[in-house]
Amino acid sequence: MPAYTSETVDTSGRRQAMVTVLFLAAALVMFYLPASTQQQVSAALRGTVLMPFVTVQKAVLTFRSRAGDSDWLRKQLDSLVAVTVAEGGLAEENRRLRQMLELSRKLGPTFVSATLVRAGTTGSESTFLVDVGSAKEIHSNAPIITSQGLLGVVRDVRIDHAVGMDWTHPDFRASAMTADGATYGVVESRSGLFREEDRLVLDGTAFHTRVEDGTVVLTSGLGGVFPRGIPIGLVVGQAEAEGGWRRSYWLRPLVEPGVATHVLVAMGNAADGTMDLSPVWPADAVMTEEQLAAWDQARRDSLDALGDSLLVMKGMVGGLEPGDGLGRRESSGVRSVPARPAALESGVSDLIRR
Amino acid sequence: MRWPLRVWVTVGLLVFFHFLLHLGLGFGNIAPDLLTISLLLAAREVGMGTAAGIGFVFGLLIDAFNLLAFGTNTVAMTAVGGAAARTRDLFVGDSFFFVVSYLFLGKWVKDLLRWILAGEGVREPFFQALLVQSSLNAAYVAIVGVLVVTITGAWRGSLR
Repeated sequence: MPAYTSETVDTSGRRQAMVTVLFLAAALVMFYLPASTQQQVSAALRGTVLMPFVTVQKAVLTFRSRAGDSDWLRKQLDSLVAVTVAEGGLAEENRRLRQMLELSRKLGPTFVSATLVRAGTTGSESTFLVDVGSAKEIHSNAPIITSQGLLGVVRDVRIDHAVGMDWTHPDFRASAMTADGATYGVVESRSGLFREEDRLVLDGTAFHTRVEDGTVVLTSGLGGVFPRGIPIGLVVGQAEAEGGWRRSYWLRPLVEPGVATHVLVAMGNAADGTMDLSPVWPADAVMTEEQLAAWDQARRDSLDALGDSLLVMKGMVGGLEPGDGLGRRESSGVRSVPARPAALESGVSDLIRR
Repeated sequence: MRWPLRVWVTVGLLVFFHFLLHLGLGFGNIAPDLLTISLLLAAREVGMGTAAGIGFVFGLLIDAFNLLAFGTNTVAMTAVGGAAARTRDLFVGDSFFFVVSYLFLGKWVKDLLRWILAGEGVREPFFQALLVQSSLNAAYVAIVGVLVVTITGAWRGSLR
């Protein structure tokens, strides 16, 4: 009696089921592979199939930076006084780049500048690529910093790029201390209900010490991963106190991972913990992103006000005609100060440009 | 354009645009999960094994940037690919409701598997991760997916 289904259909169905099982097994093998092998697989994919897309993102970032620079130059040439609202983002990026240059000058050749690229794919949260690798003496566990402080650490290094994790990663840990060196602990990430609520915690501090709100927390240099003195965050309250022997504190992070596009990565043995970077960030230079933005806005406002005052002065000085007091003194043979000194002219023009 | 070619061109374009939007232009979660849509479309055209294979490759590509839990996307997409191909034997799938449900559930189940595999330390709480974020993402995928198949006609049979 012939079978209900043909043998071909049966065989094909069985073969498809077997192939499915094989792929599922392969996927599970991938899942349970040792971390080093997994990183090799990911690096191979990033360096081949996905390389064009990573390159596109780098190009987009470069294009944005150059657009910012050219816009700034154009503004100088045109001597524009007011910065329009739409240019705020570019001015912000310019400010960050200037700060990075300043920080790079202070740190010397132990850190190399890099552009940060975020994958934006599922599961890549808290991680990013930097466009420097072992060719520039970058090692695994090298600290990654911005002008505000510690952003994260390098996890995996390839020749021309490296993969890093920021402080929101669940595995992030940094040995830390308060700025006065009185309290030591470990800073770690605590996930919030949503990603936006991720916070840092200074854990494991001695119960008998009390850390006030607003205290700056820095890397302690213990553990040999991070150099001493990199700002991490500001204390914003006690998180918990356990059994009379331990306290932990919430920290307000100084670096917002979402806005970091240009960073500095430690080279060679800069990450061995023997270096002290405390002088790089004096106490008055440690600010959160919001404080920095407010400070920058206040500075701009002051400059604008000064520019306006000088413009008014310029108008008043320019309004002094030869018929008034100055002119009469000159006509009477007394040598007077020039009505509009060159230094004042150049100062006014310079302020207008800024 | 001939039928199978139209589907595969659509699948190829979706994969390309997924990585262009997410990785190249850095839109992140603002851009829809076009890779899952392409997997679900391709799975309706091929056998279970082939669909699982496509899911395996797609999952590996996403996991290339997944340091938190490498392999979770690979397993999830392989399983979803295989299961999605199986739905062709169970459902005719020519209704609008089916397409929306198919895309919504495909994405949600993928996220569920990923959440289960990710482990305690990495994943967010069930309510936020799956009931809120994944449900919204799945709805987003369903809407975009329906638009894609409507525009490209890359769905076997006309939608009713």
